[in-house]
Amino acid sequence: MEILDIEGLSFTYNAADTETLKGISFSVNEGEFIALCGATGSGKSTLLRLLKPQLTPLGARTGNISFLGKPVEECASAADIGFVMQRPEQQIVTDKVWHELAFGLENMGIKQQNIARRTAEMASYFGIEDKFERNTADLSGGQKQLINLAAVMVTEPKLLILDEPTAQLDPITASDFINTVKKLNRDLSLTVIIAEHRLEEVIPLCDKLLIIENGRLIAFGEPKEVLSRVYGREDIMCGMPAAARISAYLGERECALSVKEGRELVRGYNPVPNTPQPAETNTSAAAVLEFRDVYFRYERQLPDVLKGLTFTVNEREIFCILGGNGSGKSTALAAAAGILKPYAGNILVFGKKLKEYRNQSLYKECLALLPQDIQTVFLRNTVREELEDAGADPSELPFDLTPLLDMHPYDLSGGEQQLAALAKVLALKPKLLLLDEPTKGLDAAAKRTIRELLRTLTERGITIVAVTHDVEFAAECADRCALFFRGEIISTAPPEEFFSENSFYTTAASRITRGHYERAVTAEKAAALCRLGGRKAVL
Amino acid sequence: MRGFTELNPGVLMIYYLFVIGTAMFCMDPVVIIISLAGAAALFVTLSEKRSVKLHLSFLGLFLIMALINPIWYHNGVTVLFVVNDSPVTLEALLYGIFASAMIIGVLYRLRTFTMIMTADKLLYVFGRLSPQLSLVLSMALRFVPLIRTQTAKVRSTQKALGIYREDNIADTLKGEIRIFSIIATWALENGIITADSMEARGYGEHRRTSFSVFRFTGADGIFLVLTLIPSAVFIAAIASGEADFTFYPAMSGIALTPLSLAGYCAYGFLSLLPCVLEWKEDIRWKYLISRV
Repeated sequence: MEILDIEGLSFTYNAADTETLKGISFSVNEGEFIALCGATGSGKSTLLRLLKPQLTPLGARTGNISFLGKPVEECASAADIGFVMQRPEQQIVTDKVWHELAFGLENMGIKQQNIARRTAEMASYFGIEDKFERNTADLSGGQKQLINLAAVMVTEPKLLILDEPTAQLDPITASDFINTVKKLNRDLSLTVIIAEHRLEEVIPLCDKLLIIENGRLIAFGEPKEVLSRVYGREDIMCGMPAAARISAYLGERECALSVKEGRELVRGYNPVPNTPQPAETNTSAAAVLEFRDVYFRYERQLPDVLKGLTFTVNEREIFCILGGNGSGKSTALAAAAGILKPYAGNILVFGKKLKEYRNQSLYKECLALLPQDIQTVFLRNTVREELEDAGADPSELPFDLTPLLDMHPYDLSGGEQQLAALAKVLALKPKLLLLDEPTKGLDAAAKRTIRELLRTLTERGITIVAVTHDVEFAAECADRCALFFRGEIISTAPPEEFFSENSFYTTAASRITRGHYERAVTAEKAAALCRLGGRKAVL
Repeated sequence: MRGFTELNPGVLMIYYLFVIGTAMFCMDPVVIIISLAGAAALFVTLSEKRSVKLHLSFLGLFLIMALINPIWYHNGVTVLFVVNDSPVTLEALLYGIFASAMIIGVLYRLRTFTMIMTADKLLYVFGRLSPQLSLVLSMALRFVPLIRTQTAKVRSTQKALGIYREDNIADTLKGEIRIFSIIATWALENGIITADSMEARGYGEHRRTSFSVFRFTGADGIFLVLTLIPSAVFIAAIASGEADFTFYPAMSGIALTPLSLAGYCAYGFLSLLPCVLEWKEDIRWKYLISRV
């Protein structure tokens, strides 16, 4: 049954002169799981918001959107279409979990007993019974987003729209969240439209893939079929699952989506040995950051967060620290920046103990930390004022910020915010840059920009330490990777070695090629090896 | 019947209104002793720690207040001794002791009130008055810690960027003003998303109902009756003037008429009821555990 039908939809924002959406038509059947992808600024959010009358932005719309056979704006109740947005924190309205779940039902004017039943039902379906009476402020990002989903599901919507719901979550939590959405789709035949950057997880699960570019729909259909049509489009393919990228590089007729399909694909090629390139052993390089047996805890009664942490970062390298949630990665970074004070051990920056840097001299042309929540970097109303405050000269930057100078920092996209923050930090001429989750919430293209930028910076003599959850990012840009576990670093190695030794905490490409090709941790490398080996002769 | 702390917040509110309201305006020694005993007993029952410090500070407060009265007021017919030409009287001494006992009793009672009536319970009580008010309060309760954590985050970020130095007052002040202004922007920005989220979930579409996890059960009804009847008896006893105790100029005796006795009993019952309920729960649990 057709649930949503969109015909010739165009939209222009009130203040804009160009159309944001141009003649989009597609239809969705009940129970379908649709992935929507497109670069930042391609009109994804606008399209999704037009589908939800309560969130329709101001502007001129032409074309029809019909929901269950009627124009969507006549669909009276907010309850019928659920909408989950990007930021977990800001969508929460009330202080208690139970009140949050009841909020939508209270709005519908539903009786006490029915609210009690439905909230109870939702809490047990989502497995959040134990958090029912908790304060919403005490939950983690992933739990908050789950509460947001549950709070939308209580009103029994027929269509669920998600606008980059996992952008602010770490990969493991994100994967759990997407699986919960898939479970709703499967159990209740709920129709789902999800816009995502994290396509590795979503593409293998979706029934249909919808790609938009500059406000135009460029492809809509079964994911395999759609992807095989856009093989040549590097800008679109770069965000796709590793298996799909390998298929695209090899020009496979059928596009592989999951790791399982990817493995089958790779097995069709002859194995070739991949001898490791002799690593540039720059053991002579000076140590820039050194942790020696560092112990830290937040409060006396609490357990240690850093337990004898010892590691060294050499000059001009990109050092990526990976590890699970709450393993102490960010704490280590804050300690290196002198924000947290360890109770034992020493931290040396350029061979000098942190304690010996007095009067903020640590932050003068020495070290800078970019936090996870990038918004906290900005204090002024325009990017230009931010840069002036910091004394930055936009022309000296390795990237161009000119189009963004007069915008409010909060209005920038995630990638642009990261660039603006970097510009502000670079004005301080740091020699050691500490980055906490630099790729959080970024799309594939923005990630690539950041990656290339970090390379340029190391060439200019800056050393970079990045804490990240993003294994693909680390595999592609790090000189060395370190695995953080329970307050210490368990192993350190160059990415090829690091990721081919790990079997779970590794890239999709490495999982695809495991046992067939050695040290193929990126899709490019895997595809190159396949090409080198050649397709196996069909017997 | 459940323990006292788990009763419906509305019922608890009514109980506290009566028990504190009557205790504050009655200067009858018997009532004051009963009130103090009941309040202190409930506090000891409810607190998990020994709170020695709190008891000591209350004792200190009691002594100070009890001694101030006879030093400043010289009314009363029974002179105990004369200091600097001013008489210290027995009546003023006793008045001081009972007045401060009354205040300490009320303080203990308020301590138990804050222990029992958490934010969400107060919210429920006010939410009965208006669903809108309850929502606004709930949102405010959420927003305050949110702003506090964001401010802390911005401050530590700015520190690590080292742009706003902390070594002179002018720069520190300038930095603080900027942080304040960006937090205001951030709160507005947040507000827009929250408003979207509210609207997306149908806020303003219908007349709102107000849901809460608290229920009014039979036990709450019984407790309400057990609060209202003794209160009525006690108020009748006070209003009749039979249990009227005066300190000045000479102390009247404690009246022992049937009505005043009934009033004292009623107040004793009212004052000790929460403790009895809590003790009963404790004993029941011990019994249940011993059977396992």
